[in-house]
Amino acid sequence: MLTIKVLGSGCANCKKLEAIAKQAAGSLGVEAEFVKVTDYNEIMAYNIMSTPGLVINEKVVSSGRIPNPDEVAGWLTEAMQAS
Amino acid sequence: MDLSTFLLNLLRGGLGNLAAYLAAHVLLCLVPAFYIAGAMTALIPKESVTRFLGRNTPKFISYPAAALAGSVLAVCSCTIVPLFAGIYKKGAGLGPAITFLFFAPAANILALVYTGGVIGADLAFARLFLSLVFGIGIGLIMALIFSKSDLAHDKATDEMFAGQRGKGMNRAALGFLLILVALLLFGTLKIGLLTNSYGQVTLPIPGVDRFQDFLYTLVPYDAAKGEEGVTAQGAFLIGLLVLIGVSSWKGFEDIHNGFSRWTWIALGLVGATLLTAALGMQPHAGGLDILFTGKFFAVLLALGVLARLLRKRLSLDEQRDFLWESWRFVKQIFPLLVVGVFFVGVIRVIIRPEWIEALAGQNTLLGNLAGVVFGVFMYFPTLVEVPIAKMFLSLGMHRGPLLAYLMADPELSLQSILITSAIIGRLKVWVYVFWVALFSTLAGLIYGAWVDGTSLGLIALYLGLFLALLGTVLWLVNRRNVSRAAVSEVVSQV
Repeated sequence: MLTIKVLGSGCANCKKLEAIAKQAAGSLGVEAEFVKVTDYNEIMAYNIMSTPGLVINEKVVSSGRIPNPDEVAGWLTEAMQAS
Repeated sequence: MDLSTFLLNLLRGGLGNLAAYLAAHVLLCLVPAFYIAGAMTALIPKESVTRFLGRNTPKFISYPAAALAGSVLAVCSCTIVPLFAGIYKKGAGLGPAITFLFFAPAANILALVYTGGVIGADLAFARLFLSLVFGIGIGLIMALIFSKSDLAHDKATDEMFAGQRGKGMNRAALGFLLILVALLLFGTLKIGLLTNSYGQVTLPIPGVDRFQDFLYTLVPYDAAKGEEGVTAQGAFLIGLLVLIGVSSWKGFEDIHNGFSRWTWIALGLVGATLLTAALGMQPHAGGLDILFTGKFFAVLLALGVLARLLRKRLSLDEQRDFLWESWRFVKQIFPLLVVGVFFVGVIRVIIRPEWIEALAGQNTLLGNLAGVVFGVFMYFPTLVEVPIAKMFLSLGMHRGPLLAYLMADPELSLQSILITSAIIGRLKVWVYVFWVALFSTLAGLIYGAWVDGTSLGLIALYLGLFLALLGTVLWLVNRRNVSRAAVSEVVSQV
């Protein structure tokens, strides 16, 4: 079970990122809990410079850009092997 | 005048303004500007600037770096707010964070290009230069006023900024960005080399001149009032713009799942549109004269190099990020701009020039204050402040108060005040608002005086005197704070 957090205040990019992450998790068949983090103080705790940010199991894997579904799938696989 | 003619007049005003803007201003200035903004967001590594925003960076580096970050990195709120919070909480502190916040909306590429294209390069430069000076000034003042609470932040870690190494921008990406800027300049500069015609063909299309006359009756214009009509070329370009919109939607919206044929169609159309806009067209009874201007060849050259760089030298990820970010800016800003421009056209019909002239027709303190107050209390979406300023200008507003308005409006909006107060607290925000209002008024007065013909030396003297006075006061405050801090330290040690 992975925890995937999308950091961002609800701008267009954050929604896009969430959709792509869901798509990647779906295609891998991973069970994951999605959390949206919109509070700036919480977002700042992850030390990112720009949103949207993607956090898998408390590890920041990308920020400031939208990764493609393959990249996200790669991170998800890594996170599953680690856990 | 009965009500229905009145409403019809309003509608015509709105649509006419919209059509004139789309045809005249959007293409050669805004289209490249959107792509430049996209390239900046996607291709410039943020670390190359943000590493100068750590806590241990000396002031004379961190303040200019904050301004640079404002103009280069922060084209959208996705970057502005997190970076602002980061600089404030974990980096160089309140001062540079404020400088960043102040400078970003006034000096980002979209705002500058649009101001320059619609109102004039002089105002764009004044906006850039005065925002820089005052942005740093306000940052320094805020840091001094709140130096005590700023000290508390020093205890937090700044790992976000420390230990970053400059990742330098890759050379192909830098070249790409520079040529995009060149494309913009080729399209908008009005120098003889670019506007002269070097060749001409006549297309035997009858009726284009009658079509253009029809457009003029549809969108009546009066050059004296600063209104612009729509030419046949303009109508053609608006048509192309609609096609770009449709193909972009199909080609860019799903770009993260790979490029489709529509992606290339959309890009091809953008290129074709820019080239068409660069041509000169003169309809007459016998047909349509096409003039090959210097602009046309320059744009053609730039587009060729860009296409080559994009395909051969940028990685697939860079290509995708670049296209997506550009598209996102268009999607986010353009619809609001269209609606805004329409309503500006409607309002233009209602407002009497005498009102504006009475209030802000001269470069007076009252006129500048009026500009600032209007800017603070009105909130317009990004970039809409520019057509509004243009409307005021055509209604007889002096360029000084106009600049005061342009400085105050994007810096202060209810939305930005709310977000900022969530991060730095209400008291600091209202102090900030006060300083912005003061400095915007001052900026308007200075620029207005320059427009009215006061010599630069005299203005520099006044500005210097003012800054010296301000500096002395702040220095005294600072000294008092420092000696107090020292005393309290001694006391606590005892």
